[in-house]
Amino acid sequence: MKSCVLMAYVPDTASVIKVAAAGNRIEEADIKWIVSPYDEYALEEAIRLKEAKGAPVTVLTYGPERAQQGLRECLARGADAAVHVKGGEGTFGDALAIAKVLAAAVRKSGPFDIIFAGIQGVGSDNALVGAMVAELLDVPHVTGVVKLEIGDGAITAHREIEGGTEVVTAPLPCVVTAQKGLNEPRYPSLKGIMAAKKVAIQAFVPADLGVDEGALAGAGATCRWKALALPPAKSGGVILKGEEDPAAAARELARLLREQAKAI
Amino acid sequence: MGYQADMRDITFQLFEWLPTGQLLKNDLFSQWERGDVEMVLAEALKLAQEQLDPANRDGDVVGARFADGRVSLPPSFHPVYQKIREGGWIGCISNPEFGGMGLPHSVGTSINEMFFGANMALSLSALLTRGASYLVEKFGTDEMRALFCERMYTGEWAGTMCLTEPQAGSDVGASKTRAVKQPNGRYLIQGEKIFITSGDQDLTPNIIHAVLARTPGAPEGTSGLSLFIVPKVRVNPDGSLGEPNDVACSRIEEKLGIHGSPTCSLVFGGNDRCEGFLLGEEHAGMKLMFHMMNPARIEVGLQGAALAGAAHQAALDYARVRLQGRHWTRMKEHGAPQVAIIEHPDVRRMLFTSGAYVQAMRALLLQTSYFIDMTHVTEGEEQERYQSYVEVLTPICKAWASDWGFRVTEWCLQVYGGYGYTADYPAEQYLRDAKIASIYEGTNGIQALDLVARKLPAKGGKAIRDLLGMAEKTFKTLRNDSQLMEPAWMLGAALKQIEDISKGLAKRPDAPIVVLLNSAPFLDMIGDVLGAHFLLDQAVIARTRLGEMLAAAGIASDDKKAVRAFLLDKPDAAFYHNKIQTAIHFAYRVLPLVTARAVAIRAGEVSPVEAIL
Ligand SMILES: Cc1cc2nc3c(=O)[nH]c(=O)nc-3n(C[C@H](O)[C@H](O)[C@H](O)COP(=O)(O)OP(=O)(O)OC[C@H]3O[C@@H](n4cnc5c(N)ncnc54)[C@H](O)[C@@H]3O)c2cc1C
Ligand SMILES: Cc1cc2nc3c(=O)[nH]c(=O)nc-3n(C[C@H](O)[C@H](O)[C@H](O)COP(=O)(O)OP(=O)(O)OC[C@H]3O[C@@H](n4cnc5c(N)ncnc54)[C@H](O)[C@@H]3O)c2cc1C
Repeated sequence: MKSCVLMAYVPDTASVIKVAAAGNRIEEADIKWIVSPYDEYALEEAIRLKEAKGAPVTVLTYGPERAQQGLRECLARGADAAVHVKGGEGTFGDALAIAKVLAAAVRKSGPFDIIFAGIQGVGSDNALVGAMVAELLDVPHVTGVVKLEIGDGAITAHREIEGGTEVVTAPLPCVVTAQKGLNEPRYPSLKGIMAAKKVAIQAFVPADLGVDEGALAGAGATCRWKALALPPAKSGGVILKGEEDPAAAARELARLLREQAKAI
Repeated sequence: MGYQADMRDITFQLFEWLPTGQLLKNDLFSQWERGDVEMVLAEALKLAQEQLDPANRDGDVVGARFADGRVSLPPSFHPVYQKIREGGWIGCISNPEFGGMGLPHSVGTSINEMFFGANMALSLSALLTRGASYLVEKFGTDEMRALFCERMYTGEWAGTMCLTEPQAGSDVGASKTRAVKQPNGRYLIQGEKIFITSGDQDLTPNIIHAVLARTPGAPEGTSGLSLFIVPKVRVNPDGSLGEPNDVACSRIEEKLGIHGSPTCSLVFGGNDRCEGFLLGEEHAGMKLMFHMMNPARIEVGLQGAALAGAAHQAALDYARVRLQGRHWTRMKEHGAPQVAIIEHPDVRRMLFTSGAYVQAMRALLLQTSYFIDMTHVTEGEEQERYQSYVEVLTPICKAWASDWGFRVTEWCLQVYGGYGYTADYPAEQYLRDAKIASIYEGTNGIQALDLVARKLPAKGGKAIRDLLGMAEKTFKTLRNDSQLMEPAWMLGAALKQIEDISKGLAKRPDAPIVVLLNSAPFLDMIGDVLGAHFLLDQAVIARTRLGEMLAAAGIASDDKKAVRAFLLDKPDAAFYHNKIQTAIHFAYRVLPLVTARAVAIRAGEVSPVEAIL
């Protein structure tokens, strides 16, 4: 058995985001980059599978040079091999283009019995890539998984759905996208960090995989980012004056909490 | 907001100021590359923020408990301890041959700054485990090393340091605990130790005590003490646990801070069945124990610096959001909006002075740690030289950083006003937790005596001359510098004060009492001068970097408006700019204190001794 984890290296949610001069990208200079949190769940599940069934873990990313650091972090946590498809500048934010590259990379480094991805990539939050990769590979997919059992040639997965949990089975190989709650990702150990650099990261460019990145980015693009804007600055907040009629003020507060803040 | 570390300054000091990159190229550290170390620091911060810090309040409120002869720690400490231990963090700087991770001390100091800052009570136990295991590694038999070291460096078992007894606090030589040799070569230990940190706890199935005790007929004082390894539970030859070893915890202290760290009274051999193993020779105990105490003293100084750093970051956060009062430029306008208190000059002063001390303490601790690393990668005379630096700097790290660290926690609490005094914010816990660092591991008064009586005169005073010589060099480099000339001259003047006192004092007829009375202020004077020297040295690097950034952006450094806008936009540029301001501020606000203290010392003022108390 072998597993693969698709890992996106994304801006840290704690970073201060600024829109770049071009208007359709963020300013990348002072950004800290992290393994997308959902991909941490995906990786943890793969490592647990390895611990239970000896399935080696390959981590795969498509992105610029810096994404290599993300691969190192995954290796430090216990992945066995790493594949870096270098590129992504032109296909930025185009989930289908990204999925095409990833599917080709999976074919090249596979076969894998199970492919893990995050339910969505922090940053653009499309929740598209995992399912698209599955379609392109012509295998089933289960998204938003919060509990997973891997049996003989098939999986049983619990998905979070509106107001409940859905339990589905799927044959292997398949794609599983990880949702928060699936597990508690481990921290890399010092030993793991030390060992990570000894693993050679396999590097490709899309052309090595038979993918024409230029075409995907140009005429073949399915999605282009037109403009980015920061959310409007928070307004000062509402003060309810309760001195005259406290009961009315309380009613108004309850209404706002229910209808506007949706907190109750 | 939770625990924050100034990672930018930590990496600046490690990689832009100290030659840590170069250090890693030595064979001893060749398994660690710079990229690894950056990952290590990032993960340490994550652990500090996500694991250690959330348990810190619990440590304070729930605290260690004592019932039925057993100590229990807050439930939230248990999973956190396991994560720290599984990651290999307890033995992060220890010998890889025995399960340690072999990171340089300087990196370990940065890791531990974050761990102590996020949860001092829990991280304290790791310090002792590391130290006790080191004693076994260095002075134990092969058999002891095989049984204990790896289990301790990996945190499976913990360690302690047992010196203090009711009549033997600072005066360790007054210890009465006895050790009697048995026919099988082991010793029966009998006596009571008090104030033993982590003397009992429920995190690990065994605890290995490093105990000072006196053999029959041994000389009085410290020269009659021997060092023993005493497990809480006996260990079978195959490493499995045997029967209890007659070590009982009789109580734990109620105290000002570090409530999560149990401070235990231990009764050894209450039933005459407590076995210990001698380390090294009989009567060499104190000398050997210093191999645990010296690194521990530096780490206790680090505790002061770490809590100061944590308190400073938290106060900065608070000052940015608390609205109160009008801006100082619009004081008379009735309708002017309230501003964040960080706009008030007095609040800025408290924050900036705190930050300057934090950076100076960090520099002192990292520089000392770097010298420790150098003793491990050099030989002969060079190694002796580095070792002599570490010896002089140890009491300064311990006392200067713990004293000023505590004071920083006080200034930072002040930033909050009334809210800082309440338990709603972490400021008061930082202050309470920090106080202990000036007391244990040898009070700061004892550190100052160690400095003036032993460390400064050692080898004709060469080590301190070398170290102050480095500060002198900083003065000479900058004395004609248009921006840093005045701070540099203040450094020069402070150095002159120290030199005059050192030369003049010995010739006085009343030298003994003047020295004893002034050892603590004198330690402070040296700490202040070193701190100013480190910060000025760093400012020079920062200024070069800032110049490069401005040049790359095509901004003339005398175009004040454009520079200001650049600083506001680029966090890294602001960091370098602040570094320069920090050095200037520290020089103006701290170096005059050196001169002020010198006045009293030179005058030979001895009123505390003249007075009838
Ligand atoms: C400013 C910015 C910079 C970014 N820089 C990088 C970068 O340097 N390197 C990088 O890898 N990603 C980077 N990303 C993320 C990448 O662009 C997105 O993952 C991509 O846009 C797909 O859209 P999504 O995040 O909405 O994907 P979703 O469909 O929401 O992603 C679901 C899952 O698909 C997988 N996946 C998605 N993209 C990739 C990928 N490129 N490689 C491997 N698995 C993937 C992951 O498992 C992810 O959790 C960046 C995102 C932003 C906003
Ligand atoms: C929370 C906590 C944890 C501790 N953990 C440990 C531990 O793990 N192991 C351990 O062995 N001990 C431990 N200690 C004990 C600690 O090291 C001692 O409290 C400390 O060494 C001081 O001893 P003392 O309390 O007896 O004070 P004393 O020695 O009575 O000192 C009182 C005052 O007199 C001063 N003084 C004493 N002698 C001199 C002198 N000759 N010249 C000038 N001034 C002097 C001191 O500086 C101090 O200000 C711990 C203490 C506490 C509170």
